[in-house]
Amino acid sequence: MLLFRSEESVEKWCAERNLPVNPMITLDQLWEMAQAWYSNRLTEESRRPGPDEIVQIFGRIGLTDPFWDPKAP
Amino acid sequence: MEFLTDVKLAIYNTLAETTHAPTVQEVAAQLNANVDDVQQAFHDLHKKRLLVPEPGDPTRIRMAPPFSGVPSSFKVIVGTKTYYAPCAWDSIGICAALHQDGMVRTHDAHTREPMNVVVRDGMPKPTPCVVHFAVPAAHWWDDIIYT
Repeated sequence: MLLFRSEESVEKWCAERNLPVNPMITLDQLWEMAQAWYSNRLTEESRRPGPDEIVQIFGRIGLTDPFWDPKAP
Repeated sequence: MEFLTDVKLAIYNTLAETTHAPTVQEVAAQLNANVDDVQQAFHDLHKKRLLVPEPGDPTRIRMAPPFSGVPSSFKVIVGTKTYYAPCAWDSIGICAALHQDGMVRTHDAHTREPMNVVVRDGMPKPTPCVVHFAVPAAHWWDDIIYT
Protein backbone atom coordinates (compact mmCIF):
# COMPACT_ATOMS: atom_id res chain seq x y z
CA MET A 1 0.00 0.00 0.00
CA LEU A 2 1.25 3.40 -0.93
CA LEU A 3 1.17 6.97 0.32
CA PHE A 4 -0.03 9.90 -1.78
CA ARG A 5 -0.29 13.61 -1.17
CA SER A 6 -3.89 13.79 -2.45
CA GLU A 7 -6.78 11.79 -3.88
CA GLU A 8 -6.01 13.36 -7.26
CA SER A 9 -2.56 11.83 -7.10
CA VAL A 10 -4.08 8.41 -6.37
CA GLU A 11 -6.46 8.74 -9.31
CA LYS A 12 -3.63 9.59 -11.69
CA TRP A 13 -1.48 6.72 -10.39
CA CYS A 14 -4.34 4.24 -10.87
CA ALA A 15 -5.22 5.59 -14.33
CA GLU A 16 -1.65 5.12 -15.54
CA ARG A 17 -1.84 1.46 -14.54
CA ASN A 18 -5.47 0.75 -15.49
CA LEU A 19 -6.17 -0.07 -11.85
CA PRO A 20 -9.40 0.68 -9.99
CA VAL A 21 -9.40 3.50 -7.46
CA ASN A 22 -10.09 1.66 -4.23
CA PRO A 23 -11.32 3.06 -0.91
CA MET A 24 -8.69 5.36 0.58
CA ILE A 25 -7.86 5.79 4.23
CA THR A 26 -6.54 8.64 6.33
CA LEU A 27 -3.32 8.81 8.30
CA ASP A 28 -5.30 8.56 11.54
CA GLN A 29 -6.94 5.34 10.34
CA LEU A 30 -3.56 4.00 9.27
CA TRP A 31 -2.17 4.73 12.72
CA GLU A 32 -5.03 2.79 14.33
CA MET A 33 -4.21 -0.14 12.05
CA ALA A 34 -0.51 0.12 12.87
CA GLN A 35 -1.26 0.10 16.60
CA ALA A 36 -3.61 -2.88 16.28
CA TRP A 37 -1.14 -4.94 14.28
CA TYR A 38 2.18 -3.98 15.76
CA SER A 39 2.01 -2.51 19.27
CA ASN A 40 2.87 -5.90 20.80
CA ARG A 41 4.95 -7.25 17.92
CA LEU A 42 8.14 -7.41 20.00
CA THR A 43 6.53 -9.48 22.74
CA GLU A 44 6.29 -13.25 23.34
CA GLU A 45 2.56 -13.37 22.68
CA SER A 46 2.58 -11.35 19.46
CA ARG A 47 0.71 -12.72 16.47
CA ARG A 48 -1.07 -11.43 13.43
CA PRO A 49 -4.80 -10.81 14.03
CA GLY A 50 -7.10 -13.49 12.63
CA PRO A 51 -9.81 -12.78 10.03
CA ASP A 52 -12.60 -12.18 12.55
CA GLU A 53 -10.37 -9.88 14.61
CA ILE A 54 -9.44 -7.98 11.47
CA VAL A 55 -13.12 -7.39 10.68
CA GLN A 56 -13.61 -6.06 14.22
CA ILE A 57 -10.56 -3.80 14.07
CA PHE A 58 -11.54 -2.38 10.70
CA GLY A 59 -15.13 -1.93 11.84
CA ARG A 60 -13.96 0.15 14.82
CA ILE A 61 -12.21 2.59 12.53
CA GLY A 62 -14.95 2.80 9.95
CA LEU A 63 -13.60 0.42 7.32
CA THR A 64 -16.73 -1.61 6.62
CA ASP A 65 -16.64 -1.72 2.82
CA PRO A 66 -16.32 -5.30 1.48
CA PHE A 67 -12.89 -4.21 0.22
CA TRP A 68 -11.64 -4.51 3.81
CA ASP A 69 -13.17 -7.93 4.50
CA PRO A 70 -10.38 -10.53 4.70
CA LYS A 71 -12.96 -13.28 4.19
CA ALA A 72 -14.51 -11.78 1.06
CA PRO A 73 -14.57 -14.13 -1.95
CA MET B 1 9.12 -20.62 26.05
CA GLU B 2 8.70 -22.72 22.93
CA PHE B 3 11.33 -22.74 20.25
CA LEU B 4 9.21 -20.92 17.65
CA THR B 5 8.77 -18.05 20.08
CA ASP B 6 12.51 -17.98 20.74
CA VAL B 7 13.15 -17.66 17.01
CA LYS B 8 10.46 -15.02 16.54
CA LEU B 9 11.86 -12.89 19.36
CA ALA B 10 15.43 -13.37 18.12
CA ILE B 11 14.39 -12.06 14.70
CA TYR B 12 12.36 -9.13 15.96
CA ASN B 13 14.77 -8.11 18.71
CA THR B 14 17.69 -8.24 16.27
CA LEU B 15 15.77 -6.07 13.82
CA ALA B 16 14.77 -3.60 16.53
CA GLU B 17 18.28 -3.36 17.96
CA THR B 18 20.42 -3.47 14.81
CA THR B 19 17.93 -2.51 12.02
CA HIS B 20 19.15 -5.59 10.10
CA ALA B 21 17.25 -8.83 9.52
CA PRO B 22 19.20 -11.86 10.72
CA THR B 23 19.71 -14.94 8.54
CA VAL B 24 18.84 -18.48 9.56
CA GLN B 25 22.51 -19.05 10.37
CA GLU B 26 22.73 -15.93 12.52
CA VAL B 27 19.61 -16.85 14.51
CA ALA B 28 20.91 -20.41 14.97
CA ALA B 29 24.19 -19.03 16.32
CA GLN B 30 22.41 -16.60 18.61
CA LEU B 31 20.18 -19.35 20.07
CA ASN B 32 22.85 -22.05 19.95
CA ALA B 33 20.35 -24.06 17.91
CA ASN B 34 20.40 -26.40 14.94
CA VAL B 35 20.31 -24.58 11.59
CA ASP B 36 17.69 -26.94 10.16
CA ASP B 37 15.43 -26.36 13.16
CA VAL B 38 15.72 -22.60 12.73
CA GLN B 39 15.01 -22.94 9.00
CA GLN B 40 11.83 -24.86 9.86
CA ALA B 41 10.89 -22.11 12.34
CA PHE B 42 11.33 -19.49 9.59
CA HIS B 43 8.94 -21.56 7.47
CA ASP B 44 6.42 -21.83 10.32
CA LEU B 45 6.61 -18.09 11.04
CA HIS B 46 5.90 -17.46 7.37
CA LYS B 47 2.78 -19.59 7.64
CA LYS B 48 1.76 -17.45 10.63
CA ARG B 49 2.35 -14.36 8.47
CA LEU B 50 5.04 -13.03 10.80
CA LEU B 51 7.87 -13.35 8.30
CA VAL B 52 8.36 -13.36 4.52
CA PRO B 53 11.47 -15.11 3.22
CA GLU B 54 13.57 -13.63 0.48
CA PRO B 55 12.31 -15.10 -2.82
CA GLY B 56 14.78 -17.77 -3.90
CA ASP B 57 16.64 -17.80 -0.57
CA PRO B 58 14.63 -19.04 2.41
CA THR B 59 17.59 -18.46 4.74
CA ARG B 60 17.11 -14.69 4.41
CA ILE B 61 14.23 -12.43 5.45
CA ARG B 62 12.54 -10.06 2.99
CA MET B 63 10.25 -8.73 5.67
CA ALA B 64 9.25 -9.37 9.24
CA PRO B 65 6.37 -6.91 9.38
CA PRO B 66 6.57 -4.05 10.11
CA PHE B 67 10.29 -4.25 9.33
CA SER B 68 11.75 -4.71 5.86
CA GLY B 69 14.89 -6.79 5.51
CA VAL B 70 15.92 -4.80 2.47
CA PRO B 71 16.04 -1.07 1.67
CA SER B 72 12.73 0.36 0.48
CA SER B 73 11.09 3.68 -0.33
CA PHE B 74 9.85 3.93 3.27
CA LYS B 75 12.77 4.99 5.43
CA VAL B 76 11.94 5.27 9.12
CA ILE B 77 14.20 7.26 11.43
CA VAL B 78 13.87 6.50 15.14
CA GLY B 79 16.45 8.17 17.34
CA THR B 80 19.83 7.42 15.81
CA LYS B 81 18.60 4.36 13.92
CA THR B 82 17.31 4.07 10.35
CA TYR B 83 14.89 1.28 9.52
CA TYR B 84 13.10 0.37 6.31
CA ALA B 85 9.46 -0.64 6.03
CA PRO B 86 7.75 -2.56 3.23
CA CYS B 87 4.82 -0.11 2.94
CA ALA B 88 3.07 2.95 4.36
CA TRP B 89 1.20 0.95 7.02
CA ASP B 90 4.34 -0.72 8.25
CA SER B 91 6.35 2.50 8.19
CA ILE B 92 4.39 4.00 11.07
CA GLY B 93 3.99 0.45 12.37
CA ILE B 94 7.69 0.52 13.24
CA CYS B 95 7.03 3.42 15.62
CA ALA B 96 4.07 1.48 17.04
CA ALA B 97 6.17 -1.67 17.51
CA LEU B 98 9.06 0.18 19.13
CA HIS B 99 6.77 2.47 21.14
CA GLN B 100 8.91 5.38 20.06
CA ASP B 101 8.43 8.54 18.08
CA GLY B 102 10.05 8.80 14.68
CA MET B 103 9.93 10.14 11.16
CA VAL B 104 8.97 8.37 7.95
CA ARG B 105 10.78 9.67 4.88
CA THR B 106 9.06 8.65 1.66
CA HIS B 107 7.48 10.19 -1.42
CA ASP B 108 4.15 10.53 -3.18
CA ALA B 109 3.90 7.32 -5.20
CA HIS B 110 2.66 9.21 -8.27
CA THR B 111 4.47 12.55 -8.29
CA ARG B 112 7.59 11.34 -6.39
CA GLU B 113 7.35 14.52 -4.30
CA PRO B 114 9.18 13.90 -1.00
CA MET B 115 6.85 13.40 1.96
CA ASN B 116 7.57 13.10 5.65
CA VAL B 117 5.27 11.68 8.28
CA VAL B 118 6.23 12.52 11.84
CA VAL B 119 5.10 10.46 14.83
CA ARG B 120 5.42 12.56 17.97
CA ASP B 121 4.09 11.94 21.46
CA GLY B 122 2.71 8.64 20.27
CA MET B 123 0.62 10.02 17.42
CA PRO B 124 1.23 10.94 13.78
CA LYS B 125 1.24 14.68 13.26
CA PRO B 126 -1.48 15.87 10.88
CA THR B 127 -0.08 15.53 7.36
CA PRO B 128 -1.92 16.09 4.08
CA CYS B 129 -1.96 12.59 2.60
CA VAL B 130 -4.09 9.57 1.76
CA VAL B 131 -3.26 5.90 1.72
CA HIS B 132 -4.34 3.66 -1.14
CA PHE B 133 -4.35 -0.13 -1.27
CA ALA B 134 -4.19 -1.61 -4.77
CA VAL B 135 -5.25 -5.03 -3.46
CA PRO B 136 -8.37 -5.89 -1.39
CA ALA B 137 -7.85 -7.29 2.11
CA ALA B 138 -8.84 -10.83 1.16
CA HIS B 139 -5.90 -10.99 -1.23
CA TRP B 140 -3.13 -9.14 0.62
CA TRP B 141 -1.17 -12.32 1.24
CA ASP B 142 -1.59 -13.73 -2.27
CA ASP B 143 1.54 -11.71 -3.07
CA ILE B 144 2.44 -9.75 0.04
CA ILE B 145 5.56 -8.27 -1.52
CA TYR B 146 3.41 -6.61 -4.20
CA THR B 147 0.71 -5.65 -1.69
